[in-house]
Amino acid sequence: MDLTITLLLIVTLFVILGSGVWIGLALTGVAWIGMELFTSRPVGDAMSITIWSSASSWTLTALPLFVWMGEILFRTKLSEDMFKGLAPWLERLPGRLLHTNIIGCTIFAAVSGSSAATCATIGKMTLPELKRRGYPEHIAIGTLAGAGTLGLLIPPSIIMIVYGVTANVSIAQLFIAGVIPGLLLAGLFMGYTIVWALLHPDQIPPAEQKFTFFQKLYESRHLIPVVSLIAAVLGSIYTGLATATEAAALGVVGSMIIAAVQGELSWKNFRESLLGATRLYCMIALILAGAAFLTLSMGYLGLPRHLAEWISSLGLSPLMLIIALMLFFIVLGCFLDGISIVVLTMGVLLPTVEAAGFDLVWFGIFVVLVVEMAQVTPPVGFNLFVLQGMTKKEITYLAKHAFPMFLLMVAAVLLLYFFPGFITWLPQQMAG
Amino acid sequence: MRKLMDTLFTLAAYLAGLFMIATLLAVLSSIFGRLIPALDLPGSDAYAGYCMAAAGFLALAPTLRRGEHIRVTLIFNQLPARAQHILDIFCHLVALGLSSALAWFSIRLVLQSREFFDISTGLDATPLWIPQIGMAVGTSLFALAFLNDLVLLLAGQTLRDASPDGEPARIE
Repeated sequence: MDLTITLLLIVTLFVILGSGVWIGLALTGVAWIGMELFTSRPVGDAMSITIWSSASSWTLTALPLFVWMGEILFRTKLSEDMFKGLAPWLERLPGRLLHTNIIGCTIFAAVSGSSAATCATIGKMTLPELKRRGYPEHIAIGTLAGAGTLGLLIPPSIIMIVYGVTANVSIAQLFIAGVIPGLLLAGLFMGYTIVWALLHPDQIPPAEQKFTFFQKLYESRHLIPVVSLIAAVLGSIYTGLATATEAAALGVVGSMIIAAVQGELSWKNFRESLLGATRLYCMIALILAGAAFLTLSMGYLGLPRHLAEWISSLGLSPLMLIIALMLFFIVLGCFLDGISIVVLTMGVLLPTVEAAGFDLVWFGIFVVLVVEMAQVTPPVGFNLFVLQGMTKKEITYLAKHAFPMFLLMVAAVLLLYFFPGFITWLPQQMAG
Repeated sequence: MRKLMDTLFTLAAYLAGLFMIATLLAVLSSIFGRLIPALDLPGSDAYAGYCMAAAGFLALAPTLRRGEHIRVTLIFNQLPARAQHILDIFCHLVALGLSSALAWFSIRLVLQSREFFDISTGLDATPLWIPQIGMAVGTSLFALAFLNDLVLLLAGQTLRDASPDGEPARIE
């Protein structure tokens, strides 16, 4: 009979979510019903104290600060500078300036915690520039859609903080673990672009001007601000000098300095970045609050334990389990955002994952990668929405040209499964 | 009435912004405190957490006013206008119920923490009812915002040209 009630709860959750009730509140509502049915504990008081502790926890403070940092950088000329600094180096590579999309996103991802922000910031510079130079639009859009998702995998990353807080895994470890897989995925994207360019040489416009090596070096000066910011944020985490939260605070100050040097730190920009960041943070906080309460309620139901027992009774091999989970997440990703997916499933899935013997840092990177896939799959894929806003193309057109990138991400998941060292090696070298 | 509400929510938004700055300052002070022990403020970690909570809760209502909170609009957007209106009233009723409960029990939490003199277990030893006020105020405003929107909906008005798909994009 417990099973029936659990199933009913899950159905209720999806009905409430589907009707359009705000996600955080929908989670709270289902949690409430669950607790009323299964415990005699006063539900309201349990709710307020659970939500208070989750909303005021120190580990979470990295999140609003990284969100704020992204909001400040979005209002600077950083992407323009990056294009100027990168372009001279890429003229000789097959695919030429198409790589500014990928490398630009890779670098920007290292100062931004969000995929859509990465996509929007880099795209607002590269898409018009590539179009003006005569690069085919569909490949420019496709590479941008894929590379934009690196914002999630390459630290700092909002979704990694959410996962770390939910699964109780060190955020610093997760961040560092994301570096090599992020570069690997960027490499796959670049490899694809090179192959595509070699197969379609007629579609790539010729190189524009020749730079000498020293000219190239000189042009690279535009990259100094962003590289110093990366060094300050990731360097301080890797060397153990700062926690993820402290690195985020340094990042906020650093990006304000960059904005000030560029003359972009007006009162208006400051106020907009601050209020924008507060609102973005509170959108996430509402979902996290609901999820914290739902996790408590699910614990009373024993759902996570039952699920773990049931799945282990199926006798799936780890690879089968990973593939099954990947499919499950991709389906969820068709109508939920990544943060909701992570908070909804982790509370329930963690015992299963641990029972199957997966390292929680490894699993975190896996989850982030799968959420990246969700970013470029319709009907709900936030990168596609961002691109739709920028290019005014149909979502189906965008999804079609992002599809090769989706396949590359699947390949990356398999690579990381068979070579887990890509994920686990770097965190093991960390100081502390 | 509408004017008053707008002022109230704008005020909450700015207050949330101030708490965001306070979060930053609290974290920075913990960094500097480690470098220069004389500047060390014991328990600044906990203060950062309290400020973050206040910022998050106070921003709930103003964010709702801008139609930015995340909801699943896949089915919603497919419906004809009339059905959308009815479904939206349903959503607001559910949300009003839940947010009122959240506000009610947050206020109760403040009163209880005060009565039993709950103190933070960290170095700061703050009486917890003080930071919890932020949660009580924020969630109360949140419920008020839903009530306000529900009344407007029932009066047959449309709330805002909602395109919730674009905005939440920025969080990922």
